[in-house]
Amino acid sequence: MSTEHSKKAALFNKDREKTTWHDQTFWSVRMKHDDVAHQLPEWEALREHASNIKKHTITHLADYLETFTSNLESRGVIVHWAKDADEFNAIVYGILKSHGVRKMVKSKSMLTEECEMNPYLEARGIDVVETDLGERIIQLLGQRPSHIVMPAIHLKREEVGRMFEEKGISHEKGNYDPTYLTRCARHHLREEFMNAEAGMTGCNFGVAKTGDIVVCTNEGNADMTTSMPKLHIVSMGIEKLIPDYASLAVFQRLLCRCGTGQPTTTYTSHFRQARPGAEMHVVLVDNGRSDTLANPEHWESLKCIRCGACMNTCPVYRRSGGYSYSYFIPGPIGVNLGMLHDARKYAGNVSACSLCLSCDNVCPAEVVPGSQIYVWRQMLNSIGKADPMKEVMSMGMKVLFDSPMLYQTALKFAPFINRVPEQLTKIGSLNPWGIGHAMPEFAKKSFHQLWKQGKVK
Amino acid sequence: MEKKEFLDRLRANTREQYDMPDMNINGITYPDTVKQFVEMTQTVGGNVIEAQETDDLNALIRRAYPEAKVIASHLPGIKADRNPDTVDEACALNGTDVGIVRGEIGVAENACVWVPQTMKEKAVCFISENLVIILNRNQLVDNMHQAYERIKMTDYGFGTFISGPSKTADIEQSLVMGAQAARSVTVILVG
Repeated sequence: MSTEHSKKAALFNKDREKTTWHDQTFWSVRMKHDDVAHQLPEWEALREHASNIKKHTITHLADYLETFTSNLESRGVIVHWAKDADEFNAIVYGILKSHGVRKMVKSKSMLTEECEMNPYLEARGIDVVETDLGERIIQLLGQRPSHIVMPAIHLKREEVGRMFEEKGISHEKGNYDPTYLTRCARHHLREEFMNAEAGMTGCNFGVAKTGDIVVCTNEGNADMTTSMPKLHIVSMGIEKLIPDYASLAVFQRLLCRCGTGQPTTTYTSHFRQARPGAEMHVVLVDNGRSDTLANPEHWESLKCIRCGACMNTCPVYRRSGGYSYSYFIPGPIGVNLGMLHDARKYAGNVSACSLCLSCDNVCPAEVVPGSQIYVWRQMLNSIGKADPMKEVMSMGMKVLFDSPMLYQTALKFAPFINRVPEQLTKIGSLNPWGIGHAMPEFAKKSFHQLWKQGKVK
Repeated sequence: MEKKEFLDRLRANTREQYDMPDMNINGITYPDTVKQFVEMTQTVGGNVIEAQETDDLNALIRRAYPEAKVIASHLPGIKADRNPDTVDEACALNGTDVGIVRGEIGVAENACVWVPQTMKEKAVCFISENLVIILNRNQLVDNMHQAYERIKMTDYGFGTFISGPSKTADIEQSLVMGAQAARSVTVILVG
């Protein structure tokens, strides 16, 4: 009965202190989101606009992509079209190889995680250096992100500090102060920025009308990544496109307020062409997005702007951590994106939802990830991923509720269950619902009986 | 993949099409835009100096960063040791204590300042340990909607909104100023 997610969540919860810290940390981000949202009377109008702009753009995507790419090409930017992860990786490697690149700095891009680009390039001799502090930390630890905006949030300062000592990034033994460790990383990464022959960024928004690649960071690492090397490669999922600056204003205002509860990211950078003497490439990636577009029930997942608000608010994510999910994007949106990517492979995540729908209410683009998870659950049986025990129970309940006589009889005898020793109901393998729950007491008389006896007033 | 094949697939998979919404959004406005901008800049970890007409900008910068040894700027009238217009490579700007650039628009709601690239090496905006942005106080707007109506891109094709210093909270959500780019930002309001 336990899904892959619930098994891993149980492991995560063994460290009670860390689980509590994780839960509270994300709840505080959620509260910061509320504070900044409440400062804007137009907040709900922004969300509605964001949703409608995305619905419009996604359903006119080919037209907007033509405008966008002809704008980029008119300024000498080289545009590539990748239908899937393999093509994306091959294109990026091709660009790097033709420029003799050995080291590439890069700022955060969930798309490159999706395509598993780093291992692909590393296997071909390219040194890929993540420059977002959190990403760099987990890269050095050989881990993957546990959150899309705060990738190293699952780590404590001691774990980071000890690794920095081992790697020779920090020199004061036992100094685990976050300010000190951040300074050490700054020095370490400064060298990498100076020596890299190429820089890669993701893309938060592509503006069709002007041909801008917009990248938002707090650290300024996307700007450092593109200011020194002579080659800038942009990895961009096609759903990142928006029509114009008026639309961009809406999304710029929502993104960071939703993601971290700040009024803006420190840097919102607009790239229209290569810097003097340099070269710029944009690799546009489909990788299943066109299939999602054709999906009548789930196409609106393409509206997602990857802010992470749904994770921050999710009671299941907060208490189970990013690694409990089998897809590389965790939380409510990750459950959905995983199912879109490969429903059989990632079906174990759809249990990671209490259907509280808090995510539906915070999502800036009104993707309604929680309601979407409910829809996914309805198809589990059709792909052979429904829980057999629940299936048997559902069939049993159907028989019971379809027959009034059987139901009445069962109700009459239900109070006998009160005599079953509580311990027997706690055998987890027989009754997983018994874990952490007290057995409810059946009333001696049912509501039905009381009603008939005129005792209900 | 060929562009045509890529786009054909998208067109074939598009179902119902939706119209663009009307874009009349009443963005927040403030009774005192300058005051809001100053307060918000401080909130995001930046400093503001409101220059008087008689103030000498070089003296103001010197007073704000008395220990600075290497100053980089391409702005006329600003005393600098390095010029991002004439350095051979962006890397030559590494080790700059204070970079000085001009901002074109300031946004009160979030302290963003639009800094379009007007110099050969934009690195000066990020690589400097400390960044000074000179901004005309008449160029302040209330919100991003107004800002995006006004911004103009230069021929360099790059511009960025900067709101306070580079920061990170990637270690235990503990806020640290000065991640990879400027450790401090001072906006000097002139005019």
